[in-house]
Amino acid sequence: MGTFHTDKSALHGITVVVDTKGPKVYVGRCDDEDEVAVVLKDADVHEDGHNGKSKAQYIERAAKFGVWKKFDHIAIPRAEVASITRLGEVKPEPVRAPEPAKVPEQPKASADPGKALVALTENAQTEVRRLIAEQNKPGIGLRLGVKGGGCSGFSYKLEFDQKKEGDVVVPVSDFNVFLDRKSTIYLRGITLDFQKGLQGKGFVFNNPNATNTCGCGESFSV
Amino acid sequence: MPYPEELVRPMRQELTSAGVKELKTAAEVDTFMAEKTGTSLLVINSVCGCAAGGARPGVKLALQSIKPDRVATVFAGQDTEAVAKARSYMADIPPSSPSIAIFKNGELVHFVPRHMIEGRDPKTIAGDLVKAFEANAVAK
Repeated sequence: MGTFHTDKSALHGITVVVDTKGPKVYVGRCDDEDEVAVVLKDADVHEDGHNGKSKAQYIERAAKFGVWKKFDHIAIPRAEVASITRLGEVKPEPVRAPEPAKVPEQPKASADPGKALVALTENAQTEVRRLIAEQNKPGIGLRLGVKGGGCSGFSYKLEFDQKKEGDVVVPVSDFNVFLDRKSTIYLRGITLDFQKGLQGKGFVFNNPNATNTCGCGESFSV
Repeated sequence: MPYPEELVRPMRQELTSAGVKELKTAAEVDTFMAEKTGTSLLVINSVCGCAAGGARPGVKLALQSIKPDRVATVFAGQDTEAVAKARSYMADIPPSSPSIAIFKNGELVHFVPRHMIEGRDPKTIAGDLVKAFEANAVAK
């Protein structure tokens, strides 16, 4: 029995262990996966050795009882992923309930529905407005997105485009910003700036989701 | 956000038609859990087709072979008060739905989390449940 959603990957809805090439291991319900990222819902993360538990010990415990979620959703860059395993296959037999123990503190979910999806500084708005006018194409807007690659895992995409089916539309003064739904995961809360002058970098993304940004500022990881 | 009741109703009925008592309030859960003698089976139902679509027929199939003293269900995402109360009786276990709990004399003795349900066919789920029930049932 697989997914009931034909637009999602075969692991959609399945609780998986995503082991990384680094010290982190994630457990969560797979929402989707592609060449860019593995997206988990209701996920937990463990760092090897944290609380005296190795990755293997953490996975063993997760396989028995599941995990307490730390994230409503999280995207793990594909470049960091070492393996994806169904949690139900880690230990096939359901086991007895645990001995009563201290109830772990439930971490707060990371989602912040009130947070603005994207924002543009005055400088960025002025420059976008100028470029849109220059192109003179009715209905055109600014498309922001992410794609795999770049020195830090993901690269930003910025272009002028028409609205496409399924896009999230963010009205900004007299023009629209378009985002495909997957990119909203990575770009929520982002501020686009435009830096002028000889030392200016042009459009600059300030991304609160990025844990690492490369020196050129054109790629990031989350 | 709860799903429209018209969508959920058949999912409720799939279990209630098999004799599973539906608990919609915290008080109903407390009443169910207050009866401690014997074996109780509690199903945390959910809308999720990927897992609950197998869990419900799995439970129905299992109930053809096993006879717990009490069988009830709460519906995750719909009857939130009842579900929270039900989960308070298994507070050491991370919440997941669908999931299935077996209590013996009021004590949680077996738990089938969502990840042991998803991707499995009803026959396998039923087989696991029967095995767990037989290992934990109170002798009569």
